[in-house]
Amino acid sequence: MRRAATGLALALLAAATAVAQGEQCGVCHPQSRVAFDGSIHQGEGVACSDCHGGDPASRELRRAHGGDFRALDDRLQIPALCAECHADLERMRPYNLPVDQYAVYLTSQHGRAIGRGERRAAICSDCHGAHAVLRPSDTDSPVHPRRLADTCGSCHADPELAAEFGLDPRVVEEYRSGVHGQSLAEGGTTAAAGCTSCHGVHGAAPPGFGDVDKVCGGCHVQERRAYLDGPHHAAMRDAGLPECASCHEHHATRRLAPDAIEAMCSDCHGAESEQAREGERIEVVLRTAADEIAAAERLTTQAARTAVHVEDYLSRLEEARTYLTEGLTLVHTVRLASVEEMTRRARSIGEEVQHEIYQKIDRRPAHIGLVLFWFYLVMTVLVITVYKRRLRASGG
Amino acid sequence: MARRALDWLSERLNLTEIFSLLTSYGLFYSELDTRKPLREALAEAAERPAPSYARWPRVLGMIVVVLIGIEIVTGSLLALYYLPTPEAAHASLGTILRDVQFGWLVHQIHFWGAQLLLAVLIVRLLRFLAQRVYRAPRELVWVFAVLLLLVCFHLDLTGRALPMTEGAYWTSIRALEIVGAVPIYGSLALFLLGGAEALISDLTLIRFYTLHVALLPILAVVLIYLHFSTVRRVGLFETRDEPEVAGRLQFRFHVANIAILLAFLMGALASLAVLVPLPFLGPADPYATPPGVGPPWYLLACFGFLELTTGMLPPWLAGGLLFLGFTAFILLPFLDRTRPGAAGRRLMLAGAAAALVIWLGLTLYGARVA
Repeated sequence: MRRAATGLALALLAAATAVAQGEQCGVCHPQSRVAFDGSIHQGEGVACSDCHGGDPASRELRRAHGGDFRALDDRLQIPALCAECHADLERMRPYNLPVDQYAVYLTSQHGRAIGRGERRAAICSDCHGAHAVLRPSDTDSPVHPRRLADTCGSCHADPELAAEFGLDPRVVEEYRSGVHGQSLAEGGTTAAAGCTSCHGVHGAAPPGFGDVDKVCGGCHVQERRAYLDGPHHAAMRDAGLPECASCHEHHATRRLAPDAIEAMCSDCHGAESEQAREGERIEVVLRTAADEIAAAERLTTQAARTAVHVEDYLSRLEEARTYLTEGLTLVHTVRLASVEEMTRRARSIGEEVQHEIYQKIDRRPAHIGLVLFWFYLVMTVLVITVYKRRLRASGG
Repeated sequence: MARRALDWLSERLNLTEIFSLLTSYGLFYSELDTRKPLREALAEAAERPAPSYARWPRVLGMIVVVLIGIEIVTGSLLALYYLPTPEAAHASLGTILRDVQFGWLVHQIHFWGAQLLLAVLIVRLLRFLAQRVYRAPRELVWVFAVLLLLVCFHLDLTGRALPMTEGAYWTSIRALEIVGAVPIYGSLALFLLGGAEALISDLTLIRFYTLHVALLPILAVVLIYLHFSTVRRVGLFETRDEPEVAGRLQFRFHVANIAILLAFLMGALASLAVLVPLPFLGPADPYATPPGVGPPWYLLACFGFLELTTGMLPPWLAGGLLFLGFTAFILLPFLDRTRPGAAGRRLMLAGAAAALVIWLGLTLYGARVA
């Protein structure tokens, strides 16, 4: 009885092992197998043979690598291979993935180079990985926002490649030094612009001249609206000058503090120009508003330390900061009147809050009280001293 | 009129006995015959020569009594509005500071009075050390004075936590960590306070409150009573260069001096309260330690010692040394084997100065680490 049970168990174990061993590729290619097992394709029914063909059930070299086997050692084949599934609407529908990305890729600089037979151009696996393909949202993925600059930079920061293709290898470092790159590096929001935000993802190409304001305006909507509203848009296009980048740089994008405005105006218009003076006036109204808000904030902190209710002031200062931000946005119209409308509101809130807090934390009554109290004490001590002197005179 | 009222009362109450109770708190060191009517007993006592008490250095004892009185009065006023639960404590202090008439002044005077009290108690012990007041038969004067200082440390410690502000909370946690480092006493105290988790819960706060407003003040008052009882039994400590001043007017002079002292003390407290107010910080968050919060100033030396010995000594040994140090300090009168006279005094002074320097050094080190 026991022997029969043992026999049955062994038979079941052997059967289970046989099923598990259905795909034999990993026996000789363990590294590829392990990489694939960690990928998003594993578990979605994608098998080695779906890309490589051959007989996955065989452990015999010739049979396994026979039939429709593909080594996939030619880079030019890869984009079309991925597109076999990723351009198939029926297959991609459950994953809600776009199926036009291969077509988009073919229009990109990378795709066109591949079309010309340039094997060094980026293909799918260069950015996404070959066997270990991960979701872009996975922090280990080479196309995760925080790793994207490294991935693009592996080719675009290479001086030799850049020289050959007539590109500037400094752009990646410049990008890293800019506000977008810094924000990502400091662990800020992953919504900060990465390479693909401006250049396109699979259709990567530099934005055309005159399109920069559209690219930047994709995120900086209000700034672009103000810019289009002002005289710079038409003037700069007519003069053939770079748009947003004239002040904010291309890759090394920088945030401009209000006190940099006048200098920016002078750069193009000259220090003595009417435009530079207008810039100075804009600078002054912005700075005044910012100073008033900062002073009100300091007072609020001070007031909180004497238990004054500051919640109302804090929310009003938040409102003032919003107006100031709107004023900064309206700098792109380069019109003092537009900016001043916002800064006036911000400044008056700051002043009001300061005035109200000053009244609440006024220490003058306490100080006057203290002086009066000391006066009373000194008088008392004087009276007692006189009393003591009299006691001594009469008794001592 | 007043005289008749006094006589009427004297027939029904032993006023002399009641007055003698008052004198137990340093108002009057001379003996009173409680069988005689008050006026007679006082007249008799005033005949006896008595030294001047409300003058340096004995004035320190007077200041302690006056300050404890101020603390009791201001503390009672604060207790009328304070709510001892972690949720309500901070807001209730806000109410006291903002909405209650002169609430801020009472709170600031309570705080500064406590700091002044501790400082005066420490200076007073230094004076006892320097003049060797603790030698027989005044051993108990010293023991009660040290115990009073320890009770006042605990009063300050328990009081600091009550506002539940950011600073108060974390200062108390740092203090609890130091208390916890002392073997036996520390674990017992933390267990009783429910603060072993390094977290001030509702139980901890109500226990702090009970200790602060009931148990410790009673203990302090009892210790002062015992302290002055020993003084009345063995007499005031006389230095050679201080001849006794005799005279009928001495007691009236004494009262006048107390009044002057009180005036200057109130002036000092009011000035500190108005000019250097303790800031009202935001409510404490038990899960976010603000940077740079150390223990209260008088525990900085212990903190510095524990920080200094971290890694050098096992924690139980470091805490044990602290415990031994405190015990030796309390029992100093019984440990001091130096001879009376100038040579012994110089030796003792050198020892005391060395101890003071070490204490100050550790305090500075602790302040820097914190």
